[in-house]
Parts: sequence; C-alpha cells; structure tokens
Amino acid sequence: MGMDDVVAMDAVSKVYGKGRSAVAALREVTIGLPRGRFTAVMGPSGSGKSTFLHCAAGLDTPTSGSVRLGDTELSRLNETRLTELRRRRVGFVFQAFNLVPSLTVEQNITLPLRLSRTRVDRARLREIVERVGLAERIGHRPAQLSGGQQQRVAIARALVTRPEVVFGDEPTGALDTMTAREVLSLLRETVDGMGQTVVMVTHDPVAASYADTVLFLADGRIADAMDAPTSEKVAARMTRLGAWNR
Amino acid sequence: MIGLVLSTLRHRKAGFAGAFLALFCAAALVCACGILLDTGLRGTIAPERYAGAPVLVTGDQYVHQDKIKKHKVKHKAKALAERAWLPVATADRLRGVPGVRSVVTEVTFPAEVPGATPGSSWGHGWESAALTPFTFAAGRAPSAAGEVVVDAATARTAHLRVGSRLPVSSPIATGAYRVVGVTREALPHQAAVFFSTGEARRLAGRPGAVSAIGVFPAAGESGTSTVAKSVTAAVRGTTATVHTGGDRGRTEFWDAEKARIKLISMGGALGGTALLVAILVVAGTFALSIQQRQREIALLRAVAATPRQIRRMIGREALIVSVGAGALGAAVGPLLGLWLRDRFRALGALPPTLNLVISPFPLFAAVLAAVVAAWAAARLSARRSARIRPVEALGEAALSGPRTGAARILAGLACLAGGVVLTLVLSSLNTEAASSPVTMLTAIVWTVAVALLAPIVARTAAALWGTLLRLSPVGGHLAAANLRTRSRIVGSVIAPLTLMVGLTGTILFAQTTMGHAATAQADAGTVADHVLGPKVPAAAAAALRHTDGVTTVTEVLHSTVRVGLANYGVQGVTPAGLSRTMNLDVRSGSLNGLDAGTIAVSGTAADRLGVHVGDTIRMTLGDGTPFAPRVIAVYGRGLGFGDLTVAHDLLAAHVDDPRADTVLVAGPAGADALRSAVRHYPAVTVLDQATLSKDRAAAGAEVNYVAMGLIIAFTAIAVVNTLAMATADRARELALLRLVGTTRRQVMRMLRWETLAVVATAVVLGTAVTLITLTALATGMIGSAAPYVPPVPYLAVIGGAAALAVLATVLPARLALATRPADLIGSRA
Ligand SMILES: Nc1ncnc2c1ncn2[C@@H]1O[C@H](COP(=O)(O)OP(=O)(O)OP(=O)(O)O)[C@@H](O)[C@H]1O
Ligand SMILES: [Mg+2]
Repeated sequence: MGMDDVVAMDAVSKVYGKGRSAVAALREVTIGLPRGRFTAVMGPSGSGKSTFLHCAAGLDTPTSGSVRLGDTELSRLNETRLTELRRRRVGFVFQAFNLVPSLTVEQNITLPLRLSRTRVDRARLREIVERVGLAERIGHRPAQLSGGQQQRVAIARALVTRPEVVFGDEPTGALDTMTAREVLSLLRETVDGMGQTVVMVTHDPVAASYADTVLFLADGRIADAMDAPTSEKVAARMTRLGAWNR
Repeated sequence: MIGLVLSTLRHRKAGFAGAFLALFCAAALVCACGILLDTGLRGTIAPERYAGAPVLVTGDQYVHQDKIKKHKVKHKAKALAERAWLPVATADRLRGVPGVRSVVTEVTFPAEVPGATPGSSWGHGWESAALTPFTFAAGRAPSAAGEVVVDAATARTAHLRVGSRLPVSSPIATGAYRVVGVTREALPHQAAVFFSTGEARRLAGRPGAVSAIGVFPAAGESGTSTVAKSVTAAVRGTTATVHTGGDRGRTEFWDAEKARIKLISMGGALGGTALLVAILVVAGTFALSIQQRQREIALLRAVAATPRQIRRMIGREALIVSVGAGALGAAVGPLLGLWLRDRFRALGALPPTLNLVISPFPLFAAVLAAVVAAWAAARLSARRSARIRPVEALGEAALSGPRTGAARILAGLACLAGGVVLTLVLSSLNTEAASSPVTMLTAIVWTVAVALLAPIVARTAAALWGTLLRLSPVGGHLAAANLRTRSRIVGSVIAPLTLMVGLTGTILFAQTTMGHAATAQADAGTVADHVLGPKVPAAAAAALRHTDGVTTVTEVLHSTVRVGLANYGVQGVTPAGLSRTMNLDVRSGSLNGLDAGTIAVSGTAADRLGVHVGDTIRMTLGDGTPFAPRVIAVYGRGLGFGDLTVAHDLLAAHVDDPRADTVLVAGPAGADALRSAVRHYPAVTVLDQATLSKDRAAAGAEVNYVAMGLIIAFTAIAVVNTLAMATADRARELALLRLVGTTRRQVMRMLRWETLAVVATAVVLGTAVTLITLTALATGMIGSAAPYVPPVPYLAVIGGAAALAVLATVLPARLALATRPADLIGSRA
C-alpha cells in the first residue's frame, strides 16, 4: 500500500443485519487504490462489490476497519462532513437514475457545484461537455437523451468538481455493447488524458479489460488482482472464481 | 438552490398539485372562518329605531362577576338572554341633568300585524316616535286606546290608510285597532306599530318599567359626548348603561348582538379545526410526494446534498407552493364567507342586521395559515427525507422505505395518550359550551395518532386482510402482496380516509346522540293529548282553557338564566294540573308547590350546582332581575325539558316575548275543538307528533352541519387527492403488470381489492374514533354511555367513503392504463 493511494482500506468489514440473519458482505478487506489508474472490481453476484464501492466512497460506513480518502479518515466524519467530502473530492456514476429529471443537462452537470455554492468555471464546463460530446444537448432534459448520452452526462457531472476519484457501479450495465464501449472509452480517456483516478464495478469482462488493474471479489474477500487485463483472461478468471464459489 | 427548487416545482407539477389543492382549501376555509370571527369581534350593527336619539340609556345587558386570581381582580361579564328593562324613575332622574333638552321613554313589545315578518314587528308608544324620528305622512297621533299609527312600509304591504282597521296580536291581548296615522318613514329590518301611551304600557305588561330612554342634548348632536358624560355620572350606581354612536345598534338589536358573540366562538372553533385538519392533510400530501421522490432525493444526497440542504429544499418548495395556494385561497375565502353568511341567515343563526366585516386580516390569516400548515408539514416530512440513505440511488435495486422512525412511533403513542386524556376529560364535561370544542379536538387527536402510527396500522391491516384477499386468485393475490410491500404508501392513504370517516361520524352523530336523548326524553315526558304552537298568546291559552273537554292547559315558555356566569336553560310552565300534561320524572321532592318563589332542578344541574330539595339558588333571570327561589324538586328529564323549571307567570314577566312556545292540552277534547278555540290566532296550530320530534331534534343542528360540512368536504378532497396521487405514481408498475400478461381487468380488480381493504381499515378505525369520542360525550352530557348512531346516515358515510376512494383510484388508473405499456417502461429517468 503506497503513499500514492487515493483510497486506502484497512481491515474493512461490513455486516448487514444482526444475529442469525446477519450477512457479512465484506470480510477484513485491506487494499490501496492507486492514483491516476483505472481499477475495475469484479466478482460473482452477491460477492460484495457494491458494498466495497459504497464503503470506499463514503456512501456507507463499514462495521469495522478504516477507510482513508487521501489523508482523510472517513470513519471520523459525520453525515454532513461526509457529504461535503463527497461533493468536493469524489465523483459518482451509477447504473441508472443518475440524473435529476427536472434539471437540464447543464444544470445536472453543475449540480454538485451549486450545492456547494461554488462558482461554475465556464471554461472547465465547456471543456468537459466537449470531452463527453454533449455540447449540443446542453439545454435538454434527461428524458430527451438516450441511455448512453445520460451516462455521459453523469460522467461529466462526476468530473466537474475535479474529484480525486470517480466511482462507478456498473455504469454500463444498462447499455448496449456499442454504447457501453463509447462510455468506457470516455472513462479510459479521463484517466489517460486528465490523470483521473477511476474505480468501476462491473460484471462484464470486456468492460474490465479497459482497466489498468482488475480486483476480483469473492464472498466478501479480495480473491485476486490482475494487471493489464484482457477480456479473455478476465473471463477465464471469473469462470474459475465462480466454480470455486460453488 | 432556489433554481433547483423552481425547476423541481415546474417539472413535478402533478406531485405538487395535491399539496397545492389541500393548502388552497385550507386557506379558503381559514379565510371564511376568519371573516366570521372578525364579524364577531368587530361587526357593527346600525341603529334603526334609535337612530335619532344621540344618547341612549338602557338596562345593563350583562351579568358581572369579579374573579379574584392571585390578588388580581378579573372582571368578567356575560350577556343576558333577554332585554333588561329600566325603572321609569331613571327617566325622571335624567330630566334634571344639565345640557339635556328632553328625555323620551320607550316600551317595546311584540306586535304582529298582517303583512309584517313574524318576530320582527314591534309595538311602541307614540311618545317615543322621536327616537327614530318618525313623522307623519298622513293622519295624527293615537290618543285613544283603540288607535294606532303604522309605519310607511307596513301601510304599503298591508294596504292600510287612515281609517283602516288593523288586527294586532300582542302577548297580552289581540284586538282590532283603527289606523289614525301613517308615518313618512320605515325601518329596514322591522315593522313599527305605535299605540297611545297608556295602551302601549298596558300591552308591554311591565308596569313602571321602560325598555329604553332617549336623551336629546340641548346643543343638538354636537353636545352628545358632554351630555353622555353627565348622563353616565347621573346614573352611576343604578343598572342603567349609556350608549352613543354605533353602540346604540347593539343595544337595539340584542339578538344580533348575541349572534355576534356566538360568531366569535364559532368562527374560532371552526377556524381552529380547519387549521388542524389542514396541517394533518397537507403533511400527508407532502409526505407522499416526498416518498415518491425518494430516488431523486437519494441521488441528490449521493451527489452532494447534505441532509440540511435537502430539508431546506423541501422547506422552500413548501413555502412557494403555500404562498401561491394561500393567496388563491384568500381570494376565494370571502366568497365562501358570503356563502356561509347566506346559509346562516337562511337558518336564522345570523340576524340580517349584523353586517359581515370583510377586512384584510382574514386574508392575511389565510395566507399565514397556508404557510404555517405547509411549513409544519414540510418539517415533519423533511425529517424522514433526511433519513433517506444515499446508497439507495445506486443501481436498479428496489427501494426499501426507511424504517418507521422511533420519533414517529413515540409521537403516535403520545397522541394515543393525549386521546385517552381528552376522552376522560370529555366524559366529565356537562355543559355544551365546553364539550363541543373538546369533542372535535378529541376526534382529531385520535385521528392524528392513527396517522402517525399509519405504517404500523397498514402492516397490521395487510396481515389481517391478506388471508381474505388471497381467496381471489389473481387480483386479490396481487392486492395482498401490494398491501404488504407498499405499507408506507397504504398508510398515507388510510390516514385521510380515517380522518374523513372519524370527523364526519363525530360531527353527524354528536348531533344525533344529543338530539336523540333530548327527543326521547321530551317524547316520553310529554303526556298531554295535544300540543299547540308556536307563539301562543295568553288569550289563546285562556280560550283553550274554556273549551269543553279540556281539563288542563299548560303554557310552556323557554328562556335562559345565569347562575353566577354559567348559562342554564329554563322553562316556565303553568303549575295547575301539570302532572296531566308533562312528566318530568321527579326523583325527589314534588312539583306541587311550584310558584313565584320556587324552582325545580334537573339531576345534572342539581349535581353541578350542588343543591338539594330545600336549598336556595341565587340566579339572574334573562332580563337581569335577580331571583333566589327555593328548590322543591329534582327531576330526571333535564335534556328534554331544560335544566330548570319555574312557574310560567314568573318567567313570562322577564322575557321579551311572553307568548308560550308550546301549549300542552290534556282532556278528551278533539283537535278540531282546539282549532276552533284558537281560530282568532291564525299562527297557532295543533302540532302533530312528527313535526314536534323533528323540531326538537333540528334545533341548532343545521348551523353546525353547514359549518362542519365544509370541513368534511375538505377531508373528502384530501382523500381524493391522496389516492389519486398514490395511484398516478404507479403508472410504471401497472404497465409492467400489463406487459407480463396481467389483463386490464385483472389490474383493475387488483386495484379495487386494494382500495376496498384500505377503505375497510379506515372505516373500522374511523368508527372506533367516532364511538370512543361520542361515548365520552354521551357520558358527560347525558349521563349514559350510549351514543346514538342511526344506521342509514352511517351507511351513507361508509358508502360515501368507499365510493370516493374507488373513484379516486380507478380514474387515475384508467388514465395510466390508457398509455401503451411499452412506452411507459421505455421512458427513462
Ligand atoms: N441493505 C442490505 N441488507 C442486507 N443485506 C445486504 C444489503 N445490501 C447487501 N446485502 C448483502 O450483502 C452481500 C453483498 O451485496 P452486494 O450488493 O455488495 O453484492 P454485489 O457484489 O454488488 O452483487 P451484484 O453483482 O448482484 O450487484 C449480498 O449477500 C447481499 O445480499
Ligand atoms: Mg451490486
């Protein structure tokens, strides 16, 4: 775990429920997510991927263990402080329902800035909007956009605050192959061109192949990591993971 | 932030329409009630008959009492029921006051003439014509006992001119008079018949007393205030009071003045109830709209909004909606106020002489009420919204409603406890003034408890109805599942339905409970063979007494007296042969000694006053005369006949209109014989049993129905509102059901089953609220825990609730199903 990690998790466990119905979604996970890299998180359904992401991003608090974002220890923050941290230092792209339907594309993108009462940097906004290829749709409402375009708006919103890390939970899960590829290329570009750190949960070996590193989760534990992944290698690893799991 | 709020409002018009409508209705109601209250507080009554007398001296229309509280003397005054007369000697005293040009005395008594509205035709002596002033259009002043002068309007309607013969019916006597003069003037709200001074005094029946004294300053109108001061000084120590300006109108129209005082309490109670109901209804609508935006709020939370910012956002939404709705409600409120005025006038609860006051205050109050209701509602629902976890925005996962908060459950339990306390309090209240507001409050507090505990109630209901519903294979099965998983939404629909059923039941059946007990007692206690009424003059009663086959004639007259400051209904009855016409169910003592110095008391009144047979009660009669009779009997049928019973002749001497309200006749004489005995009194008829019971039950109830009917209408709107909101939001879910192969009919059947289960739950709860409240009311007021709920109106309430609920579910569902399912599922975000 190097000093250059954006997120550092130390012995993080998350247990849902109590007593006999308790489910351990994460078991003593210790990992560092390096700065300026694209990390994918894979694993069978129910292996704890979403829980991992929520804990890493400060959306949920672990049952035990510590999570650091940069040099901030998340467990010491209350809900308001966590929110402030999220809006300055973290960006999110969800699988669906990313946008506020009543706001235009531009208003959706600048929402975190408005909520933190930060002035909108027009040049930065234009650059991001162009990068995600939505310069013409800036005044449209989400319902007037395709699924891929909506996800690109979400990415633009995630980037607008210059966050230390962008988290995505199956951001391409609801898209067709072609559209998914566009969105993934866009994420890849932000890493290569802007030095952005991206952490993405996915089911799809092809999506994972866009990452620099793939983490494999199984039964709440990090089972393996793979650098320079290809979709074939990831798929093969997943098959074995699935077999072990059973 | 404000931009976000505005675009949300624009985008989610439908969601806010519900809250807007609820707030609008609340504002209009509060505005109308405010106008009533304002009229009560500041309503002016213009003098008519006394308009020409700059300074008016009358008897004191109030009972006074000083209450000593922590070394502070608090002065309290309560209005008398009848007009207080003055000794004629007061006039002599005023004649010597410096600056006074002349002093004019007046007697007033009912004098019915053909063509004039019954109850607003008054007789006077011609010597008091200057009080208006009346002048001659034709003829001269009456000088003999058989002569009268009539006002211009009466002359016109009854086609009278100098020389005409005019039958006049007054309490003391009925006779034909010769018109010797017609005045130039007429009064807007009353007819005036002038007699010679001596005849007027005789017909007024109060020797040595006058009803008012007009004082004319030597300096004319400009001397009014100085003379008023000297007159006040001159009458100090007597019961006389001095009036100038608009104050004279209140003295002249004592009925209007009493109505004005009543409006204060009615407007306040109605407005307060409306406000409470509004907060409850609006809170429900807001909570529902926030539930429906749960995912959006979760997204905002995840992206960057602090719980505080979410609360603030909801607060601003509420503020904007409420100011708009409040302003619109304030615009409509005065129309509602005018409508209420017309209804009250038609029912005789608001005299035409009392003008509605429409000032800016109720309008501001309406906007303020809307803002306060919305603010309170936003506060309540924002508590929950802040608990929505940001992770809920992630993925497609089904939204788990936040758990029912501990604070909510605690508040619900506190309300339950409050309901118990209020119910106990109510069951110990035995005056109507105290019990009617507490009745409404009790019902509302119970309903608030149900609303707060609604999620738990809904879960329980789902479990109970589940087994039954599953008997229907598709629709029922789906409905059972929906009730279970959507318990939070179901709860927010149950709450307004329970409110509607509970409030409607309480309002309707409080009247029937009280009315039924009174009617039952009156029916059981009236043992006479015939009843005649209304407004029977003494002469008519005498004629009945002399009819063959009549053994007993009991004249019955009603008024109100005050013991201390408390009001007691009193009846005056002819003591002779009373047992043959009226059975008061005497528990102790005997009615045999009823005379001008004795009284009989109902059991409840005896308890309240702490008196027994042989004790003396000090009271103030309706016209302000002190009276200290000895108790000779305690009886059981107080509700049916009044709390106090005195001799008729005694009471008749202390009321404005001494004509009997009813006359009870015993004996073998037939109705035709009685009719012919009273043929000279066309207004008097033989009443049949049915009209009698109806009249007894209806007294005062209609005014309540009109006022409270508005609140019921309001809750009905809330029910439709909430259900429509809840159903319209399910478009996507219904489309999905259609896509997976559920037929339209099955979907509709599912919705109907759901709605019926919800209605059934609300009816059970609402009925429970009604019965608990009314049992307490009956215990306190009647002394027996027996609410009377007539089945037909009750079924109508249930049927109305069910019909409203089904309609408000089925119509939006049809709209939702009209869209092609694929379009709905495909629509994004
Ligand atoms: N709110 C919750 N309450 C109880 N158990 C939960 C909750 N959220 C997740 N779990 C459980 O924790 C485990 C991990 O869930 P998680 O959502 O992290 O899995 P995942 O890897 O994201 O699965 P998928 O690929 O299906 O999204 C699962 O067994 C799940 O049932
Ligand atoms: Mg997941």
